[in-house]
Amino acid sequence: MKLISLLDQLAAAPATTATPRRALLQHLGRAAVAALPLAAALPAAASTNDTAYDALTQLLLLERLQLAFYTRALAVPGLIPTAQTADFQRLRTHQEQHVTFLTQALQGAGSLVPALPAFDFSGRRRVASNPELFPNVLSDYDAFLALAQQLEDLGVRLYKTHAFAVVNDLQLTLAVLRLHPVEAQHSAHVRGLRRGRGVVVENWPSDSDAAITRPAAAQILTTAATGGEENILQYQTPGKPIVFSDFLLIRDNTAIHDSALPEAFDEPVNSAIAQAALNLFF
Amino acid sequence: MSDHNLLPAWREQSLGRRVFLRVSAASAATVALVAAGCTTTTPEPVKVDPYLLSPLPAGDVGLFYFAYLLAIAKATIFQKVADAPPTDFTATDRAVFTDLRDHEVIHRELLRRFLDPKGEVALLPADFAFSLTSLSLTTRAGALAAAQQFADLAAAVYPTVLPLFSSANLLPRTLLLKMSSVHARHAATLRNLRTPGTFAADDVVLTTGVLAGQLRTKTPLEVLAVLAPFFAPYVISAGNLPLPI
Repeated sequence: MKLISLLDQLAAAPATTATPRRALLQHLGRAAVAALPLAAALPAAASTNDTAYDALTQLLLLERLQLAFYTRALAVPGLIPTAQTADFQRLRTHQEQHVTFLTQALQGAGSLVPALPAFDFSGRRRVASNPELFPNVLSDYDAFLALAQQLEDLGVRLYKTHAFAVVNDLQLTLAVLRLHPVEAQHSAHVRGLRRGRGVVVENWPSDSDAAITRPAAAQILTTAATGGEENILQYQTPGKPIVFSDFLLIRDNTAIHDSALPEAFDEPVNSAIAQAALNLFF
Repeated sequence: MSDHNLLPAWREQSLGRRVFLRVSAASAATVALVAAGCTTTTPEPVKVDPYLLSPLPAGDVGLFYFAYLLAIAKATIFQKVADAPPTDFTATDRAVFTDLRDHEVIHRELLRRFLDPKGEVALLPADFAFSLTSLSLTTRAGALAAAQQFADLAAAVYPTVLPLFSSANLLPRTLLLKMSSVHARHAATLRNLRTPGTFAADDVVLTTGVLAGQLRTKTPLEVLAVLAPFFAPYVISAGNLPLPI
């Protein structure tokens, strides 16, 4: 499945030519075909969760969710303190730019861009009788920050999950790798803002972070945002965990704290778990 | 083929890149003389620059070396500041630098392990070091400025380095991917400590064009150029490193 990159074409153009060109990608993975009307006739195996198309649409959903969250929060008078308004305007701008980029990448591939969901940040999934999973996230600043942190953490992890999924398109891979650290900077910032308000939380996922309490039905978001960040098993070769104690703590200046080992590596998220968490919001 | 069968002993290989070029030129001259029917004289021994390290290896191993050198830079700064915090550091500053030091020492030692799985090889000369003399780490402003500079560099270069790996084994580059976002977190944290609200600011994130909202990146060669004066008198040549896409 050969991908012809929108960005490969753009890279050949002068740097000042920023206008995206249409229809440069003929196919964006198997799922692009599955998106055609004939999709129903294709075998079920055609719709996997790991094509470039699935990766980009899942990232687009996440970015759209973040964009909607910040847009609505900024529109609520008094929710975000004046001193932080510029910060969240920057976050909103970045998410908007990411949405634009991912949308153009899909369009350039001739792929279907999914319809924009009507997001509901209460967790009621637009059914008033459903229990509220995320109370006050658009009226209380601390509740807002806690959800913002989880969505940014999820973003860092989801870009990691899909970083090597667009293997046939180096320019798109590069773009995913450049978007990934921007999400990480956002997360570090929101975490810092929460710490400034007295929450026990580091700028990176840490065992010492105070848990964000959610109803059981919302637990999947916590799992998607930070579940597994306590992982201390890393692999250089399959099936053989790296024995860090073999080379840490035995040399000068390598007496590190136990909590640092999982902090030093951000983890990816299972894409199905990420999807289940995203589904809470529409 | 394993990534780790190609460990050069940095000290033992005397034909550094520049030396190789000089030798090549002498050989070409010799060939020319022979072709012209002249006798050749024994060429004078080439004086080897004792501070010219053998070139960074090609392929994935060279990328690990590059990441290792950058981790040495970051870890050396963080270690120094954690050991001797500026007097005007806050409690938060101190706690952050302890964490940064821990993370970066783990990264440095893991990368070293990639290059030397058994921990038996001297990868660098005994007196090779990242020099702190040009940095002012005794004031909060100076320490944060230095730390931010190198955290920004690491954040900016990992997205360029990651696609250059070629091994079929994705695990090592996945570990670097996991480190990549930690570098970005370090950069944002230091930026905000130094000047609140400068996380992901316009000087590190593209603001216009198709790639707006994406991190501004650097190439390994750009980063090595920044590192060079800090590793002096040793000279690192990177002509064999995979070139950015």
